[in-house]
Order: sequence, then structure tokens, then C-alpha cells
Amino acid sequence: MRKQRWLGASAALVTLTLVLAACSSGASPSASAAGSSESAPASVPVTAHSDLKIGVVTDVGTANDKNFNEYTYVGTKQGAAAIGAAEPPVTVPKDSSEFASSIQAYVDDGYDIIVTAGFSLGVATTQAAHDNPDVWFIGVDQGPPCVNAEGLPDTTFACAGDAATLLPHFVALSYQEDQAGYLAGMAAASASKSGTIGAILGISLCGPCIRYTQGFKLGAESINPDIKLVVNWVTESDFVKAFNDPVSGKSYGDQFLQQNPDVDVLFQVAGKTGNGVLDAACEAGIYGIGVDVDQSLSYPNAAKCTITSAMKSLALAVSTDIGKIVDGSMKGGDDHWDASRDGIAYGPFHDLASAFPANMADLLDAAFAKMKAGTLVTCPEKCGDLSTLK
Amino acid sequence: MDGLIQLLYSVPVLGLLFQFVGYVIEIVPRIAPIILQNATPIALAALCGVMCERSGVVNIGIEGIMIAAAFVGWYVGVLVQPALGGDPSAFFGVTPALLVALGAALLAGMLISLLHAWLSITVRADQIISGTIINIAAFGLTGYLNTLISTTSPNGAGAFTRFRPPPEIADIPVVGWIAEMLLRQGPIAMSLIVIVIVFQVLLFRSRWGLRTRAVGEHPRAAETVGIDVIWVRYRNVVLAGALAALAGAYLSMEGTNSFQQGMTAGRGFIGLAAMIVGRWTPVGALGAALLFASARALGDSISFARPPGELGTLLGQLPGQFFDALPYLVTIIVLAGLIGRSIPPAADGQPYEREKAAA
Repeated sequence: MRKQRWLGASAALVTLTLVLAACSSGASPSASAAGSSESAPASVPVTAHSDLKIGVVTDVGTANDKNFNEYTYVGTKQGAAAIGAAEPPVTVPKDSSEFASSIQAYVDDGYDIIVTAGFSLGVATTQAAHDNPDVWFIGVDQGPPCVNAEGLPDTTFACAGDAATLLPHFVALSYQEDQAGYLAGMAAASASKSGTIGAILGISLCGPCIRYTQGFKLGAESINPDIKLVVNWVTESDFVKAFNDPVSGKSYGDQFLQQNPDVDVLFQVAGKTGNGVLDAACEAGIYGIGVDVDQSLSYPNAAKCTITSAMKSLALAVSTDIGKIVDGSMKGGDDHWDASRDGIAYGPFHDLASAFPANMADLLDAAFAKMKAGTLVTCPEKCGDLSTLK
Repeated sequence: MDGLIQLLYSVPVLGLLFQFVGYVIEIVPRIAPIILQNATPIALAALCGVMCERSGVVNIGIEGIMIAAAFVGWYVGVLVQPALGGDPSAFFGVTPALLVALGAALLAGMLISLLHAWLSITVRADQIISGTIINIAAFGLTGYLNTLISTTSPNGAGAFTRFRPPPEIADIPVVGWIAEMLLRQGPIAMSLIVIVIVFQVLLFRSRWGLRTRAVGEHPRAAETVGIDVIWVRYRNVVLAGALAALAGAYLSMEGTNSFQQGMTAGRGFIGLAAMIVGRWTPVGALGAALLFASARALGDSISFARPPGELGTLLGQLPGQFFDALPYLVTIIVLAGLIGRSIPPAADGQPYEREKAAA
């Protein structure tokens, strides 16, 4: 009898833990949707589009990460507010196995526009776009989309299908990383006293990481033709170690700086692993450069040595595209954001402007203007090819 | 001397081996402090495993205890930092807030371990299931709470800083690099060595150790000589929780000063492997963790700068994935070939039920 009671108690405990654990996948879209539509500000003018339902699925992590998740969400909120739709709910999947179900929950609830944040959700978003041709999907950092002849996600990267015609309601955002990297490279070469700078990539398989670094190299050379750039990547195969392991990033950065003692500016292109790289830079007393967003804000621990960041304008792209979907001018397929659309930028210097020559901002703005005009080459011929960096 | 080395290097096939040994001898002293840092969370996790399993309780929830402790330590630091304030002291960068945070992390680890002890000792639940629940729940809960809390990207209480030994120490011939490796560390990594030695001595040379091993090998016999099996198991499992918590605290309070969802990245499970490779002894576990960390650091080193000569040419032709897999390959090879049979404590994983008084 006694033993059975214990067993019952432990079974209850087990169930409770599992329920609690399941909670971490975030409130269900329907619940948060109900909550947020009630709290939608009354001042928003009611337009013909106010009944549009827009939802966000982020990458793993948090919705307020001052990074991809947050700025995707901010952009969606801005876009929704601009068209008078209710404030969009957000779902944060616990791990990659919940990507598809998180998207499907919005589809089942009759959402009209579903925004997914980050490259990792690309396959799940493409699949959902194929299965639900009436729903608009905006995939941040998922362009150009790669589909086979049936419009299904192509994990072999043959990309035989034309996504724009096969999936006309799937907008895959891509960014001209090499332009942002170019600006960061100019900043790095200007701040470097030793004439040797470094870049640490998360993984050799990451095209955007490579383009960032290729631009970084050209930008640095535009300031100092003799600059030496040391490039390494944390791993060739392990995505967790590449992007989600700051402790490994820290020790990798330590070792990198120990074996390359001349490096005095270090560019991280390794996501959260790269936050550890910035830590290593700070500890070694050199400068770090952040990636994707203003990392002085997204990673305040390293703000004391983060001189700037190579940025993508995530919020702008999402809010613009929501507007274009509503006015009917949006088309599916790759939606490319470069300097000409203000899709990239360099991060503010914050308290570290003294690291640069006084005319740094002018130089960067001039280069940005040339990019806008399309007269500045920011990527070598083999753009996205790692061999150019070896 | 140099001539002899060149001669050895030029021997066909075997010369490559000599070149590799030469490269290791050259590079390892330079990266030794980083190796010990990488090994610290793995070794502490392994020590947690050793203490649990030596007392007869399997604990695969180490990874979960680590992530929970990493989170609690970081978040308590966030909470108490404004109240306690204070600048980092010269002594390891210690602040009052950091100490409170470390205490909270240890407490959290011990509480979760207490749950595991209760489930596996009192309730006699399946210990694998109990550990699995701890892993799932810890990852889910820390992820969920982190989502709620990190809305403002708060700064933690900072991190323990490393001791910087005077440069003369590294210049001592032959052993200088070992001293450098042990001293150029933060407090958690430095205390690891002390913990390993004390644990090893206690486990094999003290009354506590004898009782622990008796309870893990033959609890019935232990009971007949008057050892309270249940109490010994409870105490050891909860103590072991503090070790795993220290591993977690290392991640969020010494290795970095931030919490990242899933930042344990499998180190708790690697620690379990290190426990087995180290044949359930503290020194062995440390050795296995160091071996694993060395393989990783060596792989990174080779990617930074290829060694000269034929060896470099050969390594340059290997795919990069090989170096990613190197630590795991080394673990498998050592486990399968070098250490002989690895025998767990006889009563490992078996719940103990007191014999009923004669009816």
C-alpha cells in the first residue's frame, strides 16, 4: 500500500515536470492571440486590414534577445501597427523539433501572415509555404529559397525549382552581408595598430558568414592594403558548437589570440558562440566587432570592447514587406536587402569612438553611399566561396 | 640533438609519428591553461558521476543539474548585483554578489540532486527515468524562465577572473608550463585540482570512502555491519549535486558571464563518458576529461597553424570534420582499447530495499 502511494506521488511529479517543461515552448498562439487582441490600442485607426492575423515564430532562445528574434518581432509589430492589424503574438520554440508544429499552430488558427526568424527555420517555413499556398510566409534570413521541382524544401541544395513561381506567397529575405562586412572591415583596419586583424566564423558551411568575412577583408584592404587578416572557423560540422556555445567560443577565442598574438581587432561571425569570442577579445585587451545586430546592446558584457557591429536591418525588412503584402505589390521568392534599400548598416560606436580616427563615420558613410549607388565592389568574384579566405 | 631529431623525423611512416609527438610537445605547453579550462566542466560532471555511482546510484541527470545551476547562478547574480554592488576585487574578481550567486547555484544543484535521490532511493523509481526527467525539465524550465527574464538583456554579476601568475613561473624549465596550467585559472578551475585530490584520497583512504564503496558494491553487507545505506546514498547524491552545480557555475560564471539556453552543449554526458574511461576514480575522471579537452584543443591548434613538414601536409589533407570528431574518436579508442575492462560498482543503479524484520 505504502509503496503504491509513493509511486502515485512520483508519477504525479513526473507528469508535472513534463507539463512544466512543455510550457517552455511558449504560450500557444491562440492563447496569446486572444490576449493581445484585447490589449490592442484603441488609437490604431481601424482600416480594411485590421482583421489580418499576423504571427511570429522565432528561432530558439528568447523573443527579447536583442538579436534576430527580437528585431524580427519588432519589425512584425511595426508592420502590423502600420496596417492597423492586431498586435502579433510570438511563439518561441524550445528546440528545432518544434519549428514545424509552431508554424502549423498559426496555420490552424487561420493566420494570414506568418513570419519566421532566422536561417534555421528555413526548411520548416518552406514546407509550410508549400502545404499552405494561401498563407503568406516571411522567412527572415532564409533567402534565396532553395526548392526542388515540386516546391518542396531541397536539403541537397540542388535548387532545381523556381521558388518565386512555385511558392508565390513565400517571401525569403536575404541580405548583402558582404556590404555590412565591408564597413566593419574598414572600421577594423582603422582601429588596428598592429596591422593584423582576425575573423572567427561559426562554421565553414555558413554562406552568410563567409560573405561577411569576404567583405570584411576587402573593406579592411581599402583602408590599409597591407593589412593581414587571419580567418578561422570554430567547427566544420557541429552547429551547436558553431552558434550556441559561448563557453567554447571563449576558449576558442583565447586559443586563437594566443596563437595569433598580433591580432588586435577581432570580428565575430559565430552567433552566440561568438559572444564568447567577444569575451575573449575583451579579456585580451583588444577590440571586438559584433555581427547581425548592434552587439553593444545585444551582448552588454562585451560592450566595453565592442567598437561597432556589421548589421542587418531586420525590422525594416519585415515591416516593409508586411506593408507590401497588404497593398498587393509583394512577390514570392528571394527578397534581397542591400545598401540600396538600407538593408545593411554599421553599428554605432557608443563609448568607443576614440578607437577610430576622427573621420571614421564620414569614411563609412561615404562607402555606404557608394554601395547605394552600386559603384563599390564588396565581394570577390567567388562570393560565398570559402577558398578565397584560406 | 637537432640532427638526431631531423633523422628521426625522416624515417618513413614512423617519422610521421615522431613529428606528431614533437608537435604535441611543442604546442601543448602553450595551450595547457586552455586545456584545463575546457576540461573543468567535464571533469566536475564526471566527479559528480563518480560520487553517485560509487554509492550505487546512476545519475544521468548531470547535464540537467548543470544547466539549472548555470541559470540560477547567473540569474541570482543579476538580482543581487544592484543591491550588493561593489567592484570586482583583485582576488579572482570576486564580488559579494558573485559569491551569493555561486552559493545559490550550488544550492540549486543540491536541491535537484535531492529530488533525484528521493526518486531513486526512497521511491525506488527507475534511475535512468529520473535522470531523464531532470534533464528534460531543467532544459525546459531554464529555457522558459530565460525567455521571461532576459527581456532587457541584464548584465550578470560578472565572472570570476583568472589569476595571472608572474611570468617567471612559466620560465621554470620542464615543469614551468604545468605550474602555469594550474595557476593561470579562475577559482573554479583551480579548485578542481584540489577537489580531485581530496576526493581521491577520501574515497580510498577514509572511513567515508570505505562506506561509500561498500554501499555501492554490496549494500546488504554494508547494512549488516551497521552502515545506514539509505543515509549514505542520500548524502553522497546530494553532495555530488554540488559538484555538477559547480560545473554549471563554471559555464555561466567563469567560462563566460552570461547564460545561454542549452549552453551545457552535452558536457554533462561527456562527463559520464569520462567517468567510465576513468574507471570510476576521481583521478581517472580528471585524466579522461583532460584527454578529451586536449584532443579538442589540439584539433583547434592544427586548424590555426598547420605543423611544418610532412605531418602538416598529411593533416592538411584530412577533412576538417576529422578534427571535430577527434575528441570523440580518442574517447572511443581509449575506452575500447587502452584501459582494459571498465567495471562499474556492483550495485550501481540498483535501488536498495531494507530487509524486513523477521516476521
